[in-house]
Amino acid sequence: MIQLYYETAAACIGSLGFAMLFNLRGRRLLWCAFGGGMSWAVYIFCMLIMGAGLYTSLFFASAAVVALAEILARRIKTPVTVLMVPMIIPLIPGGTLYYAMSYLLESRYELFAREARSLTLQVFAIALGIIITTSLSRAVFTVIYRLKEK
Amino acid sequence: MEEQTPALSRTMQEGFMTCILDIGEMLLKNGAEIMRVEDTLFRLCKSCGFSSAEVFSIPSCIILTARAPGGATITQTRRVRARGTDLDLVSRANDLSRKVCACPPPLEEFQAEVKALKNKKSYTPKQQLFIYCLISASFSVFFGGNALDALASAISGAVLYMAVSLGGLIRLNSILMNAFSSALTAFAVIILCAFLPGASHDKIIIGNIMLLIPGLALTTSLRDIINGDTISGLAGFCEAVIKALAIAAGSAVVLYGLGGYSI
Repeated sequence: MIQLYYETAAACIGSLGFAMLFNLRGRRLLWCAFGGGMSWAVYIFCMLIMGAGLYTSLFFASAAVVALAEILARRIKTPVTVLMVPMIIPLIPGGTLYYAMSYLLESRYELFAREARSLTLQVFAIALGIIITTSLSRAVFTVIYRLKEK
Repeated sequence: MEEQTPALSRTMQEGFMTCILDIGEMLLKNGAEIMRVEDTLFRLCKSCGFSSAEVFSIPSCIILTARAPGGATITQTRRVRARGTDLDLVSRANDLSRKVCACPPPLEEFQAEVKALKNKKSYTPKQQLFIYCLISASFSVFFGGNALDALASAISGAVLYMAVSLGGLIRLNSILMNAFSSALTAFAVIILCAFLPGASHDKIIIGNIMLLIPGLALTTSLRDIINGDTISGLAGFCEAVIKALAIAAGSAVVLYGLGGYSI
């Protein structure tokens, strides 16, 4: 259990680091750190409390991050990409990529196939989360703006 | 602007267009989506006194044709080569274009503002070194490493930073750069593991790999595909996959070949 807190804290700091690597400064750094931590918290919540699988959890985590970025971007008048990219970094399956490569080199093809499949599906789940949330939020904000104009 | 001087001279129009393309290049180079680039340039052209504009952009090129009210058309093309990631510049270029659209400035002022955007501050090398160490350490913990792994990962993260700066100095192309720097990092990890018996090399190196993985290229390319810019999205996606393969290959060659590690 304590490991999960470490992981979430590490996700926060990792996202903060990436935000700095991409040259952001000031208040946006804190938002990125918060978003990075949130992405992992949502993932763990789906996994452990909702009992969802790996891919479903990743889907909801990336959907949550994109929703946060879309709302925040309109609030603080920043392009969505600027916030979304550092926030989503902890979800990117770097570990799976590494283990897939290592199994391939060790000629453990069954394990390699498992990791490679998992890698593809993880990327796909994240992509789906981004795609659906982006399209939905565009629709939702269009409706909101229309209502405000009236 | 256009009310005061209805007919801009040809050189003025070209000057405006160059400024507009400068903004577009900055956006495209540093990680904005294609749709944002095209949309921004279209709006800028409209507000700088052109009556219509056609923009086409892919990750490596922008073509902009605008028609002046007098009937003359101007086309300029911008080939975009080196790509990096500077989200702060994206956001500033976006702010500038909003400002210009709201109230178009005279040409000299516009040129000065674009120039000011170009040479803006970024983190110093020392700070960047620190950022590399920070990211490496935190992701090594994130993927299940202990404190020792985090420390080792911070050190090999510093090596990675040096490799990346060196690659930048000798102008290595980006794919070779990824392979080269991940290979050098893996080499550092092997040495570190020899000195630190308790450390697990996979946890250390994953922390470093996260720094190289093209996460931005991946998410941007997906957003391009959603926006309907399929060609650009696929090009970006391909680039991301090839970079990931280069990273894997670079570290694999060293770990497996030189280190004799069962990875």
